[in-house]
Amino acid sequence: MKTVDIVERIEGEAKLVCQWNKEKISDVKIQFLNFRGFEFILKDKPALDALVYTPRICGICGQAHLKATVEALENIYKNHNEELILTKKAKLLREIGLNIEIIDSHIKWFYMFIMPDIVKFSQNNLAEYTPLKGKKWLEASMIASETIKSLALIGGQWPHTSYMIPGGVMSDPTLLDLISMQNYMDQAIIFFENSLVGIKLDNYLDFKKSEDLYKVKGDLKDFITISFENEFEKIGKSYNRHLVLGDSLSFEKGKINRKLTKNISYENIEELTLNSFDIDKSKISKEAYTWSKTALYSNNFYETGPLSRAIVQNRDFVNDIHRKYKDSMFTRILARMDELGFLLFKTKELIKQIDINEDSFIKPKVSLSDFKYGFGQSAVEACRGSLYHDIEIENGIISKYDVITPTVWNLGPGIEDKLSTSQKAIIGTDSLAKAKLILRSFDVCSVCTTH
Amino acid sequence: MKNNERNKPKIVWLQAITCNGNTHSFLSANVNRLKLFLNSFDLIYHPSLTTDILLDDLLKKDEEIDFLLVEGAISSNKEFFQLSNQTTNEILKKLVLKSKYLIAVGSCASYGGVHKKFEQNNNILGLQEALFEHDTSTLKHPIVNLTGCPVHPEWIFQTLFSLKEYKQIALDEKGRPKEIYSYLAHHGCTRNEYFEWKVEANSFGLKEGCLFYEQGCRGPMTHSNCNKILWNDVNSKTRAGMPCIGCTEFDFPRNNMLETKKNIGIPDEVPLGVSKRAYLSIAGVAKTFKIDRLNEKIIK
Repeated sequence: MKTVDIVERIEGEAKLVCQWNKEKISDVKIQFLNFRGFEFILKDKPALDALVYTPRICGICGQAHLKATVEALENIYKNHNEELILTKKAKLLREIGLNIEIIDSHIKWFYMFIMPDIVKFSQNNLAEYTPLKGKKWLEASMIASETIKSLALIGGQWPHTSYMIPGGVMSDPTLLDLISMQNYMDQAIIFFENSLVGIKLDNYLDFKKSEDLYKVKGDLKDFITISFENEFEKIGKSYNRHLVLGDSLSFEKGKINRKLTKNISYENIEELTLNSFDIDKSKISKEAYTWSKTALYSNNFYETGPLSRAIVQNRDFVNDIHRKYKDSMFTRILARMDELGFLLFKTKELIKQIDINEDSFIKPKVSLSDFKYGFGQSAVEACRGSLYHDIEIENGIISKYDVITPTVWNLGPGIEDKLSTSQKAIIGTDSLAKAKLILRSFDVCSVCTTH
Repeated sequence: MKNNERNKPKIVWLQAITCNGNTHSFLSANVNRLKLFLNSFDLIYHPSLTTDILLDDLLKKDEEIDFLLVEGAISSNKEFFQLSNQTTNEILKKLVLKSKYLIAVGSCASYGGVHKKFEQNNNILGLQEALFEHDTSTLKHPIVNLTGCPVHPEWIFQTLFSLKEYKQIALDEKGRPKEIYSYLAHHGCTRNEYFEWKVEANSFGLKEGCLFYEQGCRGPMTHSNCNKILWNDVNSKTRAGMPCIGCTEFDFPRNNMLETKKNIGIPDEVPLGVSKRAYLSIAGVAKTFKIDRLNEKIIK
């Protein structure tokens, strides 16, 4: 039996094509059938214009793309041994901007993309989660729009600002701006405490053991209860291999393939197209079924995202839950909401570290167009996981731009005899509804996947 | 309650070739405005949100749509882009026939925007370009272009509430509501005094100085009210220190958006409606006034 199901509400559209055997999914293909060609669009454009283009790869994680672009461009300077000074203030303002975007995305994801499906598995009537009407949906959209104001204060607006530029950032916030940013973070913390977990953030962050799950109240408790009632801690397991490419004040890079290694080299990243469409039709294999490419690290599939970040970073609570329930759908969703609490605390700390007397921007001594040829790479942690940019320029004009998004790591097609991370997570599931939830647990973004 | 539901105008939000930026701009709207909107209209379909019907159901139903909002560019190339096994062009045409008003949400839906730069797909169009006269014969109003990358949520609210109340809205020659797009991004910019006295921002990352002379700011020639109706209620790009990149205009995105193209040290393009000669004269005079206040830090 074969099932084709179109999945909406994943930031775009995907198709799940399932093969069934004895009422379980025995094989699955995740098809992304849309392609917007950003890597082709970027070719032949002036290098700095990439700062305007790449945030538009995705309306949700535009700041991640912006930060990846600016750091890839700065890497070109580094590869020329050309000194480029970046103040701590500029570094902080970039990272704070990205963190706020992740916070905003996590809130929206839980209430708009996950809970409406999760509550369908409950025996109780949880109409408060009803999209566009329910009290909790409205409250979440309110707090998301309040939270993002703190990014607009330094970026001018959200989405789609390009306030980061090689040498720093374009804005110069006042002390009052910083206080306002703290205030918006505090509002989000109050929401986290009163609505999501029902306890103080400090107490939540003290959680160390999986048993602490029973101390959680609030909306996350609804998720935990429904999950255990439906054994969501037993489904959605994949390779349990984890990758974090981005290194920052908030996250640590590293990978876990049985044991944890902090040594990451971009040279081990490989992008393959064996099962992917190509705009050059002569290159398309018969097996091609999606526009997404396949991303591998050291020839292996890895998961990327909040769960991977928490365990690479050894954050106790998620670590212990992960030890018990492995990389299940339950662990994956819980880790994302745990990261919300972690980032609210962390981002407030980072805002406090800003010294407004430092420069926001120090103009590079040479322009990118002064380099006859240049190349640079960067990786940042976006809301959905590791985002990698790779750029080449000639006389200041982009000659090659390659982007590997987190969703390509998680949702790209398997190759040859190897299943991809999400394929492996879905196979063995006994219902299409659960398969769709597992797919969503990776925080699917079709627009990112098929940039 | 049910009666009330029936009286609410029905809205369908279609996503074509897009980054979903307009959706996320919309979801970041002022919460009271969003609540009022949700109470006043019936958003029956949005692909990113859990609505009761799916796109397939919508296409089969005979139900009339009051406002069809389209986010993203349109293409009839199925190899590159399809939704529910159809091209965005096919879906658009079917939905327009059921609709009273058609609104392009964002620059991609209006003119193709960023996505039109993907030249390998030579069939990426804005709504007006994608539709023939007979496709829009049932519409009660010309297509409304709400340009912007992304569009400001308040522009969507104001347009919808206006059309609900007055049935029509005055459009400029590019199909944009005059009351939003007659303003320039420049109007209300907190750097205006620097512009008047021709004081340049010496670099990025400053509160002081105008971004028009060096950093490529298009505020004086871009139709939008970004500095009148602030973004996320709190700010604008130019107030923060980022030059306006002209994202509400037909020609967005242009090349070299973060620098000012010049000829013999003079900006190649001058503010809208001003002759180059007049601009040069006035700039010369303004520069002779050396106003210390404008050459110092705002906060010392």
